[in-house]
Amino acid sequence: MPAASDESDLIDLKGCKILLVDDDRLNIRILRSMLQNEGYVLAEADSAESALVLYDDFQLDLVLLDVLLPGMTGFDACRELRKRHSAKAAPVMFITAKQEAEDVVEGFSAGGVDYVMKPFRQKEVVARIRTHLQIRLLSERQSTLVDQLSRANAAKNKFLGMAAHDLRNPLASIRGLAEFLRDGTVGELTTDQLELINLIHQASQNMVSLVNDLLDVATIEAGELRLMIAPVALADVIEKSVAMNAREAARKKTAILFEQCEATPVLNLDADKIRQVVDNLLSNAVKYSPPGSTVRVGLRALPLGAHAVTVRDQGKGIPEGERDRLFKDFSRLSVQPTGGEKSTGLGLAICRKIVDAHGGSIVAENLPAGGCEFRVTLPSSTQA
Amino acid sequence: MIFTGKALVVDDEPHVRKYISLILRSRGASAIIEAANGAEGFAAYERERPDLVLLDVNMPVQDGLETIKQIRAFDPEATVIMLTSLATRQTIEEAAESGALHYLRKDTPRAELVALLTELLGPDAED
Repeated sequence: MPAASDESDLIDLKGCKILLVDDDRLNIRILRSMLQNEGYVLAEADSAESALVLYDDFQLDLVLLDVLLPGMTGFDACRELRKRHSAKAAPVMFITAKQEAEDVVEGFSAGGVDYVMKPFRQKEVVARIRTHLQIRLLSERQSTLVDQLSRANAAKNKFLGMAAHDLRNPLASIRGLAEFLRDGTVGELTTDQLELINLIHQASQNMVSLVNDLLDVATIEAGELRLMIAPVALADVIEKSVAMNAREAARKKTAILFEQCEATPVLNLDADKIRQVVDNLLSNAVKYSPPGSTVRVGLRALPLGAHAVTVRDQGKGIPEGERDRLFKDFSRLSVQPTGGEKSTGLGLAICRKIVDAHGGSIVAENLPAGGCEFRVTLPSSTQA
Repeated sequence: MIFTGKALVVDDEPHVRKYISLILRSRGASAIIEAANGAEGFAAYERERPDLVLLDVNMPVQDGLETIKQIRAFDPEATVIMLTSLATRQTIEEAAESGALHYLRKDTPRAELVALLTELLGPDAED
């Protein structure tokens, strides 16, 4: 690809620092004259020991290392470099008269990136050096870039979190105050006034949900999702969620049935977070089922101490080929809410992160009879 | 909830005070006093001796954690519920150690807020 080769041609290798290690003065002289022409900065050492000392003083980009040296061998020097500097160590190219296959293998296993046998062809050595320097510089550039990007991303998340946080309380108040106007607590309203208040209420409700989702995503992305684990009766959490969502469901004449067959398990969970997951699944089920549907919520014990919460809706199901996107950030599917409700595309992504943090799993499946089932599995480790 | 007592709502944001006050009033509170920061809140507590305090955490002048300590030192029986927005676990624990009955997130939908308050105050709140 031309673009890629242009990119690597742009890398200026002039000034790259190379350490030549050889006890043979003649070899050093040959290498020096051919590499100086390429514009590299060179340092020399005649033993592995002095090479290691020089390495620390001289920020190197590449080491050309003979193997048979007085004292420590080149292989050992290479191992020592890898030990001291791990992945950040400059690439080491062996250049040696040792020609046996096992020598080559040992050179690579000691951490060398290349192995050139003496007598060498000058042009080939120059070309190999160029390749290794390019790889080195590109990977340095890449890791700097990754560092910068993760810092920028953290800053963005922090800002997102602060903005969302500052928006949330006023929005919640607007919603709450609109409710008081709507229900006549502070005096009767005309039909027109009521209509306006309902619009304000609906809009602020949508914004509160969006802001909450954004806050959750910001918190989770910043790695700050901390669970407050305490023993809790899972059925109670579900019942509260059912009670709250039943209100919204009633508007669409949809019923939510909680079918719980066994004794109620007490599990070690973050009750608020699990409640958020159940809320989300229930509101989705209502949102995507046609008016007049029945949403069924189930809680059952699985073998080996795990538990499953299931939510079945009567919607159109998950379109083939969109299943992968279901639990990803900002990924709305092609199916639409049936009552004009809003969706941020964040809810299920948040659900998955919360369930993951509990060591559980969340899956969705279309049912043969229509609709789909979301199943949250909480592992036995949550048993109180 | 039938809360017929006197409540003190301490929050620096007027819309929050209004909203919480309306909730308490609609559930039967006989009087509601509002304060805009912790220092005003404590002064109002000393003066009015309310039956219930709803106390924001982040406020200028004096924050809620300091204020709850002050109130509970003055009156160890004081019933204080913290109002939070983005409370960390540490804040919640500190509030609990200082004697907070519980905490309520300000963005909780009204029906739920009422349910929580009912659960927290229960029949004991009836005077």
